[in-house]
Amino acid sequence: MNPRVVYANLFVKLISVWREKSTMFFTLAFPIILILLFGTIFMSQDNVEFHLCLQDLDQTKSSVDSVKALEAEGKFKITRVDPAVNAATYVRDNKVNLVLVIPKGFEKSLLRRKFFRDFNSSVTITYVYDPSSSSVPTKIQIINAVLAGINQEMSGIPPFIKSAEKSILTRKYRFIEYFIPGIIAMSVMTLSLFGTANSNTELRQKGIIRKLSTTPITRTEWILSDILYQFIIAAVSTTAMLLVSYAVFDVNLHLDAWLLVFIMLDVFAFVGIGMILTRFVKEAQSAAAAANAISFPMMFLSGSFFPIELMPGFLQKIARMLPLYYVNEGLRAAMIFEDTMAALRCATIIGVFAAVVFILGILATKWEEGQ
Amino acid sequence: MTKKTKYAIEVEKLTKSYGDLLAVDDISFTVSKGEVFALLGPNGAGKTTTVEIIDTIRAPSSGKVTLLGMDVTKNKHDIVHRIGVLPQGFSSFDRVTVRETLQYYSRLYSHRNTDIDNLIELVNLKDKAKEQYKNLSGGLRQRLGIAIALVNDPEVVFLDEPTTGLDPLARHEVWEVLQGLKKKGKTVLLTTHYMEEAELLADRVAIISKGKIIALDSPAELIEKNTDFQVLTLHSVDENVLEIIRKMGFEPVPDNNREIKTRVKFADDVQKILSAVKDAGALYIGLDVHKPNLEEVFLKLTGETLHDGHVVKKRFK
Repeated sequence: MNPRVVYANLFVKLISVWREKSTMFFTLAFPIILILLFGTIFMSQDNVEFHLCLQDLDQTKSSVDSVKALEAEGKFKITRVDPAVNAATYVRDNKVNLVLVIPKGFEKSLLRRKFFRDFNSSVTITYVYDPSSSSVPTKIQIINAVLAGINQEMSGIPPFIKSAEKSILTRKYRFIEYFIPGIIAMSVMTLSLFGTANSNTELRQKGIIRKLSTTPITRTEWILSDILYQFIIAAVSTTAMLLVSYAVFDVNLHLDAWLLVFIMLDVFAFVGIGMILTRFVKEAQSAAAAANAISFPMMFLSGSFFPIELMPGFLQKIARMLPLYYVNEGLRAAMIFEDTMAALRCATIIGVFAAVVFILGILATKWEEGQ
Repeated sequence: MTKKTKYAIEVEKLTKSYGDLLAVDDISFTVSKGEVFALLGPNGAGKTTTVEIIDTIRAPSSGKVTLLGMDVTKNKHDIVHRIGVLPQGFSSFDRVTVRETLQYYSRLYSHRNTDIDNLIELVNLKDKAKEQYKNLSGGLRQRLGIAIALVNDPEVVFLDEPTTGLDPLARHEVWEVLQGLKKKGKTVLLTTHYMEEAELLADRVAIISKGKIIALDSPAELIEKNTDFQVLTLHSVDENVLEIIRKMGFEPVPDNNREIKTRVKFADDVQKILSAVKDAGALYIGLDVHKPNLEEVFLKLTGETLHDGHVVKKRFK
């Protein structure tokens, strides 16, 4: 193998992509846009504030205090609805999805229960809602929890079962910190898979591979330069993603050699798959379609965007068979949980997979024609 | 293993088939060192397959090909250092400049002393040295392809249809470059479907049709051996002239631009035809009588003429 040849090839690939400004921009910009978008959406996931309309038909001190208690919960921004209007009409006319109605006689019933120990005295809070809205069940669930707290407090008996939270982590991680390793894994996969399948198919279609086969460059030198090129692109893209994440979201991630290891394994695995694809597709467009067919299900199923525990059981089984799942898990183990054993376990699995597909990719790469 | 031979290329009983399709059918020929040899024939005749077997891109189905004394199927690694190839439909990296492209290919051969400037000058691309490939016209791209084929100072150069798809001006510019190669004494194997190109550039021409070589000699000898006539061409003729000449027992062939070509064996045949046309009151604007060229040879041997590489059936054979 001749390093001069590998360097020459690498140089041509790098200046080609450098001069293709739009490709360069989207290569770097796409994962960053995802990070900014999802990071902003979930930035204050723990402090989500819903809009709640509330109609107090009682208009007493007790009903006003109860509304204040609900407001103090912090989950709701409350809009007060005029007691004179019809709640159902208000929902329809103002395009709100839920109005909570405190009935007339609220304070009276409360006092009867509190001071006369009349346990038959109760009130019914009514939810007037639009069932087509997806956030309604969440709002009702939260309100019910608040009401249960009030009921329990009024009973005057301390609760039997209490709960306490104790995290195994030294610190609590945020959603954005969970999200970034997944986006890194997904981006490196996409770059390597599309980069290899697309560019090699295009070069073959244009006859450049045929021309190269009449020169001393060997298949090994070609593939090695491709791997180096993909690794450089992956490293640049990852650096850009991390810089944005630190600058915008002030993330706290553990960066060490495992990050490089997983990027390298991610590159090897998906360059290998890209090389296999190149063998079976004739045109660059088909290569892109085939790469899409592989990468799209993989990025959604393997837990790049959300934990696979949110998926049905059979999909979780499928997720655990996907290579990207182990890159995601490995990167999270290294970057968030600092769990070396978990990272090693994932690296071993993805490493074996990468070795197998990479060897198959080398075997599938056609250099001479019509043999 | 290398054997000493006066031939740069020796092809013996070469056959290549793709499934049921026999692309090259038992052909044999030799190319001497320093010779410019052309394979002439229509698209699909087997020219490119033959060249791609000799320049190591494809493997033969049977037969033997020796290049510079080496078996092409066993010595690819040694052969590629000594040949230069312009493949059919040559293309290069879109965003890489002419100079960078030549430097790239030079590095592939590990040539530290390639004179890139000299190469650029040889193919007349000095003004375009910093231009990216995607901005070059078809003719300039082919000239770059030729320069790439010369980057390792090869002993044998393969040029597969170097002027296909080019306009006449660009074609002539490429021909000038190829004549320069001829002067430098390079062995060149050229494929073409342009008769004029083969006649102008080649020392010897093999006419290939349906995978077989049907004639092989120098252009002059091919013409001499296969023709015993002159060609009378009438320019801008009336439509009825064709019928007048045909009735006289000749076999006129209509050409583009209202031209009619007729083979004549004797000097007074020309006089007879012109008188008949005049007597019929038909018009023509000009005429010439010339020796037959390879086009007429190809027509005589195959009954076909070529237009942009595609076979056009003509009447006489």
